[in-house]
Amino acid sequence: MRTQRSADIAGGCFLALLGLVTLLAASQITGGLEERLPPRTLPYTVGVIILISGVLLAIRSWRFRGEDPVIKWPDRRGTIRVLITLVSLGIYLALMEPLGLPLSTFLYVSFTVWYLGKYRIWYPLLIGFLSGSISYLVFIYLLELSFPPGPFLTP
Amino acid sequence: MLFSWDYLLNGFVTAFSLQNLLWAFIGCMIGTLIGVLPGIGPSSGIAILLPLTAVLPPTSAIIMMAAIYYGAMYGGSTTAIVVNIPGEASSVPTCLDGYAMAKQGRAGPALGISAISSFVAGTLGIVGLTFFAPALANFALAFGPPEYFSLMFMGLTLVISLSGRALLKGIISMAIGLLASLIGQNPLTGAARLTFGSIELMAGINFVSVIIGLFAIAEVMVDVEEEVKAINMTEVRDVFPTWADIRQCIGAMLRSTGIGFFMGLLPGCAPSVTTFVAYDVEKRVSKHPERFGHGAIEGVAAPEGANNATSSAGFVPLFSFGLPTAPSMAVLLGGLLMYGLQPGPMLFKQNPNFVWAVIASMYIGNVMCLVLNLPLVGMWARIAVIPFPVLGPIIVICSLIGTYSIRFLAFDVWVAIIFGVIGYFMRKLGYPIAPMVLATVLAQMLETSLQQSLLISQGSPTIFITRPISAVFIGLAILSLVRGIWKQMKSHAPEIAEEDES
Repeated sequence: MRTQRSADIAGGCFLALLGLVTLLAASQITGGLEERLPPRTLPYTVGVIILISGVLLAIRSWRFRGEDPVIKWPDRRGTIRVLITLVSLGIYLALMEPLGLPLSTFLYVSFTVWYLGKYRIWYPLLIGFLSGSISYLVFIYLLELSFPPGPFLTP
Repeated sequence: MLFSWDYLLNGFVTAFSLQNLLWAFIGCMIGTLIGVLPGIGPSSGIAILLPLTAVLPPTSAIIMMAAIYYGAMYGGSTTAIVVNIPGEASSVPTCLDGYAMAKQGRAGPALGISAISSFVAGTLGIVGLTFFAPALANFALAFGPPEYFSLMFMGLTLVISLSGRALLKGIISMAIGLLASLIGQNPLTGAARLTFGSIELMAGINFVSVIIGLFAIAEVMVDVEEEVKAINMTEVRDVFPTWADIRQCIGAMLRSTGIGFFMGLLPGCAPSVTTFVAYDVEKRVSKHPERFGHGAIEGVAAPEGANNATSSAGFVPLFSFGLPTAPSMAVLLGGLLMYGLQPGPMLFKQNPNFVWAVIASMYIGNVMCLVLNLPLVGMWARIAVIPFPVLGPIIVICSLIGTYSIRFLAFDVWVAIIFGVIGYFMRKLGYPIAPMVLATVLAQMLETSLQQSLLISQGSPTIFITRPISAVFIGLAILSLVRGIWKQMKSHAPEIAEEDES
């Protein structure tokens, strides 16, 4: 998938498959068949559109013989940065319930600022502390939104 | 009559209340900040704040969100001029002459003329909105469900056909947006659709999660790839341009207002399109086109005027028909729906206080933006150089908190992260994002109006071509698709979208 052509062929095939899955899932929808617009009509239509467009995209790209632009994928280092950012997001979300919003925000911001910026440790910790404190003050204390406050703070 | 001076005057009275002035000011501040920061656009900014505004009255909330949108148009030029990095895609043409002026030691006058041009065009655009929107809404009183369905269908096809050379990818993007919105219970019959037995999916996918994922999280993922730490900034002195500079730019400001406003009425004509057109027109009418690209002050005034006029124009179809012309407008439409306000002629009839207060607040907001952007431009320029490793995680936190606070479900945040990954790949593979956003927001209204139309016609789809207004919209939709197909057939290039998120 280094070039636009190969990526579009692969993307077209994937989308055609998605269209098929949508059609299969739409066929499972029950009820409301006596309606003027039964609930399965739009999912069917969308499935057909995705299937046909995916197939057309794959065929058009396969037949394409012009200048093929290279896609700017990240290098190994960039890929690792993106993956670590995503994984840390998942961990942040998983920690939000048991640790609460302020503490999990502190941990997430401290880690990502340190990881992305490679600063001296006190700086990410300071940014993390400020972010965690502001998240508590604004969202839990002032706006009284139902975020988990964590074991150390009461709402 | 949907327009009267009394309505406008009452709107000003509401907009001048202390609370609404405060939220307009906060919106202008946040908007300018969003415009200044390259990693975040107005759509993400509004989407992030949308759930958090639930604690505000509807008028204050929409006043603030509208201010974020036009405020971002002001802020986008700052980084374009000072550091040669456009804060928004619409500021790309501003870089050409703005940065050239900055290198000649004229960053101050460039920033000054940018703010003045934005103010002039923004204000004239709102004058256009004041008179055009009620006139169009009056016309829309004749609309029934078939006309609304055809109008939304036309809006979607226009956005698809204008997304560069990527017609098929535009259709796919729209279809996936519709698919995401179809998940969950059918609002009309209650039947579960595409839920695969999951309880979380029964509640459906909230469009705010989709938008935050597609814009904020995907943008951060793209930025994470590159290790940008420090940005060099040119010195900013004397932000007030001379009278000679202003006189030189008056023509550019007026022409760009006309171009930005009238093009901005069309779905798919985002500010990034109109700014390039305005810049090009200015270069063509200039007696010295060779100065363009080398520090011509009209080259700054034209795109900055056009993007503000376009942002005002976008409110005309939004308020009159409920038709968003750009992703930011789709997010604003979502905000209106969240408050139970249905844009269209009935909004003018049933909620005149609301709609005129928002329009009046835009006049006031433009003055606020001018004040914020002229004397404080040095401060904004310094904020623009906040390193991404600090800014990125804060954007992510705001996005996730915004997503979580829609329904307080971790599921919504996972949806945002998944759509963040989808948005990242869409950017990399050249898929347009605007059709997906518009489809996600319009899906439910589209389905409801289709259902109602079929009820009226007792199941006959010919209702869409036998009613004249609907037939015109369907005709335009087909024309725009045929134009897209024609362009695609003539083009011997691979499918790559050309768009921005504003």
